[in-house]
Amino acid sequence: MIAEEALVNKLKEKESQAKAFEVLVNTYKERLYWHIRRIVLNHDDADDVLQNTFIKVYKNIGGFKGDSKLYSWMYRIATNESLTFLKQKSKKMGISDEELKMSLIENLQSDVYFEGDEIQLKLQKALATLPDKQKLVFTMKYFQEMKYEEISEVLETSVGALKASYHLAVKKIETYLKAD
Amino acid sequence: MKKDHKNKFKTPEGYFDSFHERLMDKINEEENEQGKSIIPKSDGFSVPEEYFDTFKVETKEVKVVQLKSYKKFYYSAAAIAAIFILIFGLTWKTDAPITFEDLVSAEIDAYFETTELDMSTYEIAEVVSLNSLEVNDVLDNALKDENILEYLDENVEDIEDLNLDYNYYE
Repeated sequence: MIAEEALVNKLKEKESQAKAFEVLVNTYKERLYWHIRRIVLNHDDADDVLQNTFIKVYKNIGGFKGDSKLYSWMYRIATNESLTFLKQKSKKMGISDEELKMSLIENLQSDVYFEGDEIQLKLQKALATLPDKQKLVFTMKYFQEMKYEEISEVLETSVGALKASYHLAVKKIETYLKAD
Repeated sequence: MKKDHKNKFKTPEGYFDSFHERLMDKINEEENEQGKSIIPKSDGFSVPEEYFDTFKVETKEVKVVQLKSYKKFYYSAAAIAAIFILIFGLTWKTDAPITFEDLVSAEIDAYFETTELDMSTYEIAEVVSLNSLEVNDVLDNALKDENILEYLDENVEDIEDLNLDYNYYE
């Protein structure tokens, strides 16, 4: 694990910026990618959003005050970028958010970078029925194996509320998967 | 050790020899039990080969150079704009401050359409109290009482069940 504070300081200084940014990208690219990918589902879109996320981080590091941890700040940016991306996409296509979610899942079936079988496809359909927040909590906990404390910092929600959301999400997904 | 010799309790033959084996069986069993969750452990997403090894952020997209060449243009444009604002600001006497009524309803509609309010039904109910809301507030064409009664009469099987206060309509 890298010392965050030192890295942030290096990022803020002109001479050390480029090198520090490279370290930052290499440290967080995979984690952020999977976080984004689980929201936007498609690899190319995830790649775009990941690029934008890092560019935003690069541009705004000067304003990073350090009241929250660097990774939770970046996760927040990634989350917002992903959700905004989806909203813009649905607007561009002239369809509702729900219709977009369904079309994204339809596309998964022919996606070369989706190796899921029927159950995993059904899981995506179940996830699409959840409210954004519940879906985020579920994927962050279940697939990204983040701690409630970490999720709490990213989503700015209390641990108690997150546990309740997670529990609800699991119940809903299980019910969906059991139903034919 | 001596104590053990005095121990009157006995264990089945080979109990301790097979203890470890049985313990591991039990652990595996429990792990499988947990793994039996209907939700799959992986969600099936993959990435192109060497994607992460070759991933690079194009920070060069953030070009400051282009802005500079337009700097002079921006300054003069800003100056002209400032003059206009000054002239209009001085000559345009607006007595009344801008109020909510000045908002064009189309703008309000557009705001609600494009802004994610993120409010649940309960939260909306907290802001807008039920008592201050009439059914006609949310309808484009006002409903007359007699139309409502007529509708209910035609569509509700037993109108008596609704416990309508007829005195109110008389």
